[in-house]
Amino acid sequence: MNAPSISLPFPADVPAGSPATGDATACLRVTGLTVQYRGFTALRDITIDIPEGEITALVGPSGCGKSSFLHSLNRLTDLVPGCRVTGSIHLADGTEVTHPKADVLTLRGRVGIVFQRPNPFPQSIRRNFEIPLREHGWSKEDIPDRMETVLRQVGLWNEVHDRLHKSAIALSGGQLQRLCIARALALEPAVILFDEPCSALDPLASGVVEDLIHSLRGQLTIVIVTHNLAQARRIADHAAVFWVRDGAGTMVEHGPAARVFSSPADPDAGLYLSGARG
Amino acid sequence: MPSVSKPAARRASFRWLDRSFAVAGGMAALVSFGLFAWLIRDLVRLGMPRISWEFLTAEVADAGRSGGIGPVLVSSVLILVCCLGLAIPLGTGCALWLAEYARRGSVPARLVTGGVDLLASVPSIVFGLFGMVFFGQTLRMGFSILSGGLTLACMILPMLVRTTLSALEALPADLRPAAAGLGMTRSTTIAKVLLPAALPGIVIGVTLGIGRALSETAALIFTSGYSTRWPETLSDSGRALSVHIYDLALNVANGGPMASSSALVLLALILVVNSAAVTLSERWLLKRHQTS
Amino acid sequence: MGLLALVAGGMVLLIIGYLLTNAWPAIQAGRLGGFFTDTKWQPGSQRDPRFGVVSMLTASFLVTFLAVALALPVGLACAIFHRFYAPPVLERWNRRMLELLIGVPAVVFGFWGLMVVVPLLIRLAPGTPGQSLLAGSIVLGFMILPIITLTSQAALQAVPAAQLQAAAGLGMGRARTIWCVVLPAAKGGIGTGVLLALARAIGETMAVVLVCGNIPQIPKSLFDPVRPITSTIALEMGYATASHKALLFCAGLILVLCTALLVGWISFRRADSDPGTGGA
Repeated sequence: MNAPSISLPFPADVPAGSPATGDATACLRVTGLTVQYRGFTALRDITIDIPEGEITALVGPSGCGKSSFLHSLNRLTDLVPGCRVTGSIHLADGTEVTHPKADVLTLRGRVGIVFQRPNPFPQSIRRNFEIPLREHGWSKEDIPDRMETVLRQVGLWNEVHDRLHKSAIALSGGQLQRLCIARALALEPAVILFDEPCSALDPLASGVVEDLIHSLRGQLTIVIVTHNLAQARRIADHAAVFWVRDGAGTMVEHGPAARVFSSPADPDAGLYLSGARG
Repeated sequence: MPSVSKPAARRASFRWLDRSFAVAGGMAALVSFGLFAWLIRDLVRLGMPRISWEFLTAEVADAGRSGGIGPVLVSSVLILVCCLGLAIPLGTGCALWLAEYARRGSVPARLVTGGVDLLASVPSIVFGLFGMVFFGQTLRMGFSILSGGLTLACMILPMLVRTTLSALEALPADLRPAAAGLGMTRSTTIAKVLLPAALPGIVIGVTLGIGRALSETAALIFTSGYSTRWPETLSDSGRALSVHIYDLALNVANGGPMASSSALVLLALILVVNSAAVTLSERWLLKRHQTS
Repeated sequence: MGLLALVAGGMVLLIIGYLLTNAWPAIQAGRLGGFFTDTKWQPGSQRDPRFGVVSMLTASFLVTFLAVALALPVGLACAIFHRFYAPPVLERWNRRMLELLIGVPAVVFGFWGLMVVVPLLIRLAPGTPGQSLLAGSIVLGFMILPIITLTSQAALQAVPAAQLQAAAGLGMGRARTIWCVVLPAAKGGIGTGVLLALARAIGETMAVVLVCGNIPQIPKSLFDPVRPITSTIALEMGYATASHKALLFCAGLILVLCTALLVGWISFRRADSDPGTGGA
């Protein structure tokens, strides 16, 4: 694994002109976000700017609202009956994610998501690309090229190019997760959300996927939820620590990863990041 | 970079599909509901005018064109009693053996389960054929209430075995070691602990079985027969309600009006019995969810 | 206990044994040749008794398949509507209604068909007897509709939530999710439901005997009267003797064979689709 060592504050391949200090253009601007499930507050009053082209890691113990936060960024919270989201989320181009009349389908094409467990459709590898690409208006002739591009990008092309017509679920866990990443990338999203993408994988596959996520840095904005603090240290430019306060998840600390990990201001965050709690 | 061709238009074509799914699905749901309403409405319209206490208790007269359905109801009940009298012990015993004595997945257990599943698939008219020659001829019961009831017992047996088995399997696994730890023998455990605990499931199975037995016709034509006299013993032939409807509709000219009244009575009975089963099982499931 | 289980499990063998014994005279006399090739069935004829089951087999299969063809689109659309479009309250009440509808006696369906569907068909196609292949298919289709709807609904419900989440995460609309993701994943379960409905329909007697017209012939149109195997047994067993009776038992055996094959196919598919979970 060629992840940068922990002491190195920024990954070596930061593109010139995009300092990871928090004053990069915000790709997602979240203001006063609160998520409730039938009266129970899962997440309270989150305000954060997610910088463009960089990796933002969300860390914290289980049940502190990280996933709720992630899912509200592309309105997957709509799927949960009784879920109410207040506050606002804006994309860089001014699209209001939280607007009740927002075009949710187009939005989810622009803000893609990869889940903890790889969830390919139990159909052929090719169909896994065709179905979403057709939905987003790609013509049949363009799909093979697009599929090859993204499969190469995730390093899967050589492994699967001769079995594109075979069922996707025959692949190994790590391959499946890369397939899901490729499928999300195929839609050319501006942002991609990762919901603990490595926690269902074995260490080897986990490393491959982590390197892949890291290699996407600079091409698009990445938000990743992870329980693995070492992983967050290795790949994140920015970090946000979530914690349960007064029975509701909230963000207790956020900023450039180096500062958050080395000298957190919040005592709970400090204990959590040092491994003493959580 | 490949061109993206009019996403809005592509989406629109599927929005059309979405709408047609909604419309077609809604219509289908409406049709199935409408058919049900239609069926009930027709039966009520055709059958209701003659329903009275008199109709329910009077003798069958003029091959069913007049009079009532008194003896037919009595025969139906007696057939049901015979049926449950055989089916309950046999079904419970078989389920107990499968759940408590046989090893899961062993050859005998799989043979018995397979046999019961196969039995469930046998068409009811074939049960009629079998009942006619086995109970009627071999066991010399002839056309009798007993013969019909026992034939029905064979028919509802798989249903009883399945519901009882799933009730027994749903019991908490620690019930058995707990009873054994108290020094209870296996038979006491079954009689005093497992059966009472599984009783709600068994009751649901029996209720469903009653519904199925009440509605059966084909298996009874050649076993319990057509006699419309008041039954005196179980070896008399007796006509079940469903057979009465069949006979009036097919063999009796102008039997329609009385058939529709009888059909309404049968439908009402079935709906009551089956609603009871549905309500019972919902209650029971709810209780199980709350306790576990 | 073991004895009771033996009786319960062995019951089906007893039934098949009895059918075979009673059918044996016909099999032994070599009558089965004509049974499967002769298209005429005139057991009562003194001069030329003919026992050909072909027309009745055809009728049974036609009525059954037409019934499924009528019920499947409606039932599946209904299931999709309940699962993805209807509010939960509606879904719950409709499911209760369907559960009750499953219990409605076949003879009531048959009688309703005779009183309502048959006159309707006579009005639609004047000059035909009304009691016909089509009438039988409609009544039978109505009867298996709840089975198909409920099994399809269960199959749709069984599609893993992760699949729906994946589709939603990729920005896919409801229709495409249903068409491209849910239906392919649920088609096994839906198929099993169809097989169950087929098994139920082919063995059904009462719903068809009252509305099919009961003339043993190979139908030339939907409005021709037909006589399925089950009706034949129900109508003729009362007075059949000797070889006629034995042949009716043969017909019963054919029915058992058909349903047993369907049930065997179902359990084979189930074992095939989830090898890990036994029973449940």
